[in-house]
Amino acid sequence: MSIEPDTLSPAMPRRARWRLSGAQIITGIAASVLLMLAFLAVFADWIAPYDPLRQSLMEALQWPSTAHWLGTDDLGRDVLSRLIYGCRIAAIAAAEATSIAVLLGVPIGLFIGYRGGLWDWIVMRIVEAVVSIPGIMVAIVIIAILGAGLHRAMIALGILFSTSFLRLARGVVLAEREEVYVRSARVVGASDNRILLRHILPNIAPPLIVQVTLTVGAVLLAEAGLSFIGLGVQPPQASWGTMLNTAAAFMDFNWFLSVPPGIAIILTVLSVNLLGDVLRDSIGRGIAVGVRPETPAVRFEAAASPSSEAGLTSSPRPADEILWVESLQVMVSARDGGEIPVITDLSLSIAKGETLGLVGESGSGKTLTGLSILGLLGAGARTTHGSILLNGRDLRTLPRKQIEQVRGNEVAMVFQDPTTSLNPAFTVGSQIVEVLRSKQGLTQKQAWNHAVELIDRVGIPRPEERARAYPHELSGGMAQRIAIARALSCNPSLLIADEPTTALDVTVQQEILDLFRDLQDEFGMAILFVTHDLAVAADICDRIGVMYAGELVEMADVDPLFADPRHPYTRGLLSAMPHASDRNPPLPTIRGNVPRPGTWPLGCRFSNRCDFKSAACDARIPLVGTGRQVRCVRAGEFDMEAVS
Amino acid sequence: MLKLIVQRLLALVPLLFIVSVLTFSFTSLLPSDPVDLIIGDTGTQDQYEMVRERLGLNQPVHLRYLQWLGRAVQGDLGTSFFNSVSVMGAVMQRLPVTLSLTAISALIAIVIGVAAGVAAALRPRSWVDRFATIGATFGQAVPNFWFGLILVATFAVNLRWFPATGFTPLTESPSEWLRSVILPSLALGTSSSAAIARQVRSAMVGVLQQDYIRAARAQGLSARRVIFRHALTNAMVPVVAVLSFQITVLLGGALIVEQVFAINGLGTLAIAAVRQQDIPMLQGLVLVMVGLVVTVQLATDVIYGLLNPKARPS
Repeated sequence: MSIEPDTLSPAMPRRARWRLSGAQIITGIAASVLLMLAFLAVFADWIAPYDPLRQSLMEALQWPSTAHWLGTDDLGRDVLSRLIYGCRIAAIAAAEATSIAVLLGVPIGLFIGYRGGLWDWIVMRIVEAVVSIPGIMVAIVIIAILGAGLHRAMIALGILFSTSFLRLARGVVLAEREEVYVRSARVVGASDNRILLRHILPNIAPPLIVQVTLTVGAVLLAEAGLSFIGLGVQPPQASWGTMLNTAAAFMDFNWFLSVPPGIAIILTVLSVNLLGDVLRDSIGRGIAVGVRPETPAVRFEAAASPSSEAGLTSSPRPADEILWVESLQVMVSARDGGEIPVITDLSLSIAKGETLGLVGESGSGKTLTGLSILGLLGAGARTTHGSILLNGRDLRTLPRKQIEQVRGNEVAMVFQDPTTSLNPAFTVGSQIVEVLRSKQGLTQKQAWNHAVELIDRVGIPRPEERARAYPHELSGGMAQRIAIARALSCNPSLLIADEPTTALDVTVQQEILDLFRDLQDEFGMAILFVTHDLAVAADICDRIGVMYAGELVEMADVDPLFADPRHPYTRGLLSAMPHASDRNPPLPTIRGNVPRPGTWPLGCRFSNRCDFKSAACDARIPLVGTGRQVRCVRAGEFDMEAVS
Repeated sequence: MLKLIVQRLLALVPLLFIVSVLTFSFTSLLPSDPVDLIIGDTGTQDQYEMVRERLGLNQPVHLRYLQWLGRAVQGDLGTSFFNSVSVMGAVMQRLPVTLSLTAISALIAIVIGVAAGVAAALRPRSWVDRFATIGATFGQAVPNFWFGLILVATFAVNLRWFPATGFTPLTESPSEWLRSVILPSLALGTSSSAAIARQVRSAMVGVLQQDYIRAARAQGLSARRVIFRHALTNAMVPVVAVLSFQITVLLGGALIVEQVFAINGLGTLAIAAVRQQDIPMLQGLVLVMVGLVVTVQLATDVIYGLLNPKARPS
C-alpha cells in the first residue's frame, strides 16, 4: 500500500493520511512485536533477570514488585524470566510444528496432485478422516502414541497441520496441471520432475506463505492449549501454556499470574495474524469490499450552477403526466472524501401510457437516473439537487417509510439481468406473493392466486407449476417475464425498465418488447425505458432522451430524432447503428470513450470527441427548445447537413 | 431433500471406513504392549498368554479388525484397560457435559457472530464495522482457555455471579445447569464468534450488492425484510459450511476449557486415557467424536440444501 501525495485532496488531508498510515502502523507494530519475540528467544539467557527454574518458596505467589516486575509463581520463580524463556519455547514450537507441517504436507500434496488416481483417492480420504476429528483430539491421540513433551507435541501438531498444506499443494498442482504451459512443457519432452519444479513451485509460493502465517498462529494457540492440559511442554520447563496451567491452579490466590502469559500469547498470535492479513492482501488480488466507485480525485469545478439553467428547460406540464423530474443532480463520493457529480441538470417528464427512452453509451448515467427516481442509489451516491414528482408528490422529500410505500405500488423497476434480479433462495411464485402480501395486504391464498394469474398474464405456460420453480430452473426470457409480473403486481403507474432485453437472446428480446407494449395497453402505465440499443428504443419508445456524460444532450419524439438528429453525439450514435440493408461497410464509431465522471470537459462535455468543436463549446451549453430539446451551440447548422 | 440426505450418507461410508481403520490401528502404533499394561510388572508368562488370548491378540489383524468393528457398530467399544469399565458407558456418562458446552457455545458463537457480521456489513467502514473487525481480529488471537481463566477471575472469584468450577446436569436443575455452562461456553464461543462474524460480514457485503437485493428494495419491501429475509438467507449459504467446521473446533476446544472449570467431560477422560495409555478408551472417544462431527455435518448439509435450492439434487 503506497501513498501518492497527489491523490490526497487538500480538503480532507488529515483524515486520509491518518487512515492510510494506520494500516502501516499496525504492520510496523506487529513486525516489531515478532522481532522482539525473536530477540528475547535468542538472548533469553542474558536478558532474563533470574534463572527461570530457580525456586524460592519464601517468595511464592508474590504480586508484582521492583524485585519481581511481574511477581512470582507458586514455587517463587520469577514470572518475567519464565515469560522471556517462554518466548524461546514459543519460537521453537512454531518453527518445529510449521516446518514439519510444510515438509510433510507439501511433498505429499504435490505427489498425489500430480499422480492422481488411487493415490490421490486414498490420501484424500485419510485427510478427510483426520479433518473430521477435532484437531486437538488428533493431537491428543498422536501424543498418546509418541508421548508428551515439547518436541513430540510439536510433531503431533505438525502432522495435524500438514493436512492443510497437503490440500493446498494438491490444489495448486491440479490447477497448474491444466495450464497450457505445463502441457506444452510435456510436449517438448521435459521430465515429470522438471515440470513439477519449474512450473508448480513458483505458483505455490504465495498461498504457501499465507498458509504458513495462519499455521504459526494456530500452532502457538494449540501448543499453549496442549501445555495447559499437561500434554505439551512438561514442567518445570517454562512455556506460556504451562505458566497458565500454574495460574489456573492458583486463581484464588493470585489471579495476576494468568495475565502475563495470556497477554504474551495474544500479542504474538495477533501480530502473526495481522502480518498474515497484510501478506494475503498484498499477495492476493486484494478483494475490494468497499462500495465506493473508483473515481479520480480531480475536483469537478461547478462553474455553472445547474439551477441557473433550469428555467430554460422547463416546458409546460401536460395534464396527464405521471413523472416529472426537474434539474436532477446526483453526486458520488470520491476516494478523498469529496463528491463528484455523475448526473447534472436532468429534467424529463413521462405521461400516462407513454414510453420515454433514455439512450446513451454505458457510463452516461442512464441507470443512475432510474435508480435515483426510486431513491435507491446505494451507498456512496446521493441526489443533491432537483425534484422528482411522481403523481404530483415529490419523492425526494418523502420519509423512508413513505418512499417504501411508493415503491412497488406507484413505481416499479425491471432490471437488466433477470437471473440475478430474482432471489435464488425462493421460488418465483413466492417472490410475487411476498410483494402482494406486504404491499397490498392480501392473504396467502389470494396472493398466490393473483401471482399465478400474473404469471399467466406475462405469457408463461403452466403458470401454477412455474410459480413453484426456483429462478435457476427458468430460462432468461422466462425469468424476465416473472420479473415483469412482479413489477406489475401492484399495478404501478410508472415502470422503470433498465436494459430489460440486453441480457436476452435476440429472438426473446422481441417477445419481451411485445409483452411491454401489450401490458402498457392493458395497464396504461408510463414506462421509462433505459437502453443502449437504439433499435430497441426505436421499436418501443414514443420519445427518446439521449444522455451523454451525466446530462441530456437531446430529447425528441422518436421519428424526428431518427430522421433529423441535431446533436453531434446523437448523429454519431445513429451512424454507429447497424442496419440490415448496408452490412458491408464497416460501422463508423465515435472516437474515444465517454469521459469518466470528474474528468468531464468544463464546457460541452462531448467537445473532446466532437468533429464540429468550436470556441463556443468551451462554455457550458444549456439544453434549449420546447418540443425538441438539444444541447449544442451548432445544432442549427447540422440541421441542414442532416437533411441533405 | 431426502435424496440429498441419502447422497450425503452414502458419501460418508468411505470416510467412516478410513476413520475406523485409523482408529483400530492405534493398538499397533502404541509404544507399549497392551497386555503388559493390563497384567503389570508382576505378571507371569501364563497370565500374559491368558490376557493375550482374552484380548484376541493372537488372531490375525484383519479378523481382529472385523470383530472390533462388528462390536463397535453394535455400540460395544470394549472395556477400559485401566479400570475395566465399559468404554461406551464411561463416554456416554461424560458426553452430556461436553455436548452442553459445545451446544451452548455454538449458540453463543452463532448469535454474536451473525449479529456482529450483519451489523458490520450494513455499514461498511462505519465505527460498528471497525469495532466488529477489530473485535474479530482480537477474538481469533485469544486462547479460549485463557479467556476462561479471566472469566473465572472476574465473574466467579470476584463477583461470585457464577460457580467457578463444576457442572450441574440439565436433568438435575435447568437453571443451575445454565449457570454452570455459561462461563465455559462464553470462553469457548468467543473465538468462534469472531471467525463467524468475519464470514458473515464478507458474505453479507457480497450479497447486499446483488441485483436481487436492489430489486427487492425497488419492489418496496421494507429494509428490515430485505436484509433479514432476502439478504441473510443467501449470505448464510457460505457461512453454514464454516459453521460445521467451527462446531468441530468447539468440540475440540471443549476438551481444554473443561479443565479450566474442573468439569468432568470427555476432555478429562481423554487426558487420563493418554496418561494411562488406555487404548480402548481413546478409540472410543475418537469414534464418538467422529460420530458427533458427522452428525453435525449432515445437519449443516441439510440446512445448506434448504437455504440454497441449487444444491438440491433434482
